[in-house]
Amino acid sequence: MIKLTKIRKSFGRNEVLKGIDLTVEKGEVVAILGPSGSGKTTLLRCINYLEKPNDGVISIDDFTVNCKRSGKKDIHTLRQKSAMVFQQYNLFRHRTALENVMEGLIIVKKEPKESARSRSVELLEKVGLGNKLDAYPSELSGGQQQRVGIARALALNPEVILFDEPTSALDPELVGEVLAVIRKIAKEGITMIIVTHEMSFAQDVASHVVFMDEGIIVEQGNPRDLFRSPKEERTKQFLKRITPEGIYSI
Amino acid sequence: MGEPIDISYVLEYLIKLLPTLRITLLIVVSSIVIGLGVGFIVALPQLYKIPILRRFSQIYLSFFRGTPILIQLFLFYYGLPEVLKLVHMDVSRVPALYFVILTYALHSGAYLAEMIRAAVGAVDRGQVEAAYAVGMTGFQAFTRIVLPQAIAISIPVFANLVIANLKDTSLAFSLGIMELTGKSQTLAVMSRHFVETYISLALIYFVISFGLEQLFHLLERRMQRHNRRAATEKKEQSSKKLRYRWLSAGIGFSRGGRENEA
Repeated sequence: MIKLTKIRKSFGRNEVLKGIDLTVEKGEVVAILGPSGSGKTTLLRCINYLEKPNDGVISIDDFTVNCKRSGKKDIHTLRQKSAMVFQQYNLFRHRTALENVMEGLIIVKKEPKESARSRSVELLEKVGLGNKLDAYPSELSGGQQQRVGIARALALNPEVILFDEPTSALDPELVGEVLAVIRKIAKEGITMIIVTHEMSFAQDVASHVVFMDEGIIVEQGNPRDLFRSPKEERTKQFLKRITPEGIYSI
Repeated sequence: MGEPIDISYVLEYLIKLLPTLRITLLIVVSSIVIGLGVGFIVALPQLYKIPILRRFSQIYLSFFRGTPILIQLFLFYYGLPEVLKLVHMDVSRVPALYFVILTYALHSGAYLAEMIRAAVGAVDRGQVEAAYAVGMTGFQAFTRIVLPQAIAISIPVFANLVIANLKDTSLAFSLGIMELTGKSQTLAVMSRHFVETYISLALIYFVISFGLEQLFHLLERRMQRHNRRAATEKKEQSSKKLRYRWLSAGIGFSRGGRENEA
């Protein structure tokens, strides 16, 4: 279980997160929606401390970090409980697909090379890249790179996988393959938090949807209710702008 | 001045000069090795934006990059003993070669520091974030992810610096060091075959520079294989034909070393 309490984050004078409370149950798939600049990516990055929150408490599982008094060790432990899939993939560019997936297992989890290797191969096969083990990121398409990114995240066996707009940088025709992989692992009961602009995907995959605007959570609930009958005016406006008529009548 | 030109002397002088190549290479290698250490130390405050140390490293950089190496040689050779005398250290017995190596090390160190700073800065920030997200410590992220990529990026610049350093060592003769140029001076004056000596000298520098360049080029290709495998494979085929043309035309070594950039 992940519990965020009163997370605040400012960049200079600009307060991006104004006290976020969020609870994610084990096995839940949470989609975070909202207009750009609403703080959703920042929130996601706060969960693994790529941004240091100014205030608040983060607990993953039974490990709790108070953001006011977080030491290097806390941050390190916290980061090991999550994995992240980036918008720009951020694969290690000097490593092959296989090495990208193995890196964390060997260096962070200290697994023996052989078992790390076999597990990595297995994961790459799972995301449909069993034939690209020795390819460097520069030799892969965006969709393939992102699928390696997902395999790399899965390899760490984290409590939660954080997806930061995983399909935003992709060519439209490559979005499908990545979403299919995410859908597949969502069914396996892995806890995920996904920041996305793919409304229909969010509606389809998420078990819980959070709508953010201007640094606060405006509304949250199960996707069916939130998409079909949003309560807040801002949510209505946002959904109207982003989804063409009819797409949210199932 | 001198004797009439007789090109047959070139080979003879070549053989006479070659033993002193040892000194030249000693200066190059030791100053680059020390320079790398110095460069790292100087680059760190810049990379990590450490307030006061950063200022010092900037002063260091602007001094060594802003004054001619010849003046630096004189300053160190004549100035340093005077300064050390103030703290009662007598360095008058220390061979000039050590001063030369020190000067070249500090001089190269300035440029190497800039190289390191630029190369580390050129590694995408996302790479570090990914390393952190995987759970690596700062040290692991730097040594396993940033450093290998930074080294690959910096090879062309490093190659240029080493070759520049090699050619700069010719100034060491002004302090009486018997390296290639120093030896050629005496040889020329004694035999009065100036042109032939300098042809031999130029040939040696040229061959070493050219060899180094090729070596670094190979190294770069190897280190950068993750970036341009598809691109280089094609290039390789066409460059085999090209290489012959370069050699016969005697050009092609002025290229920056990054022309393969995809």
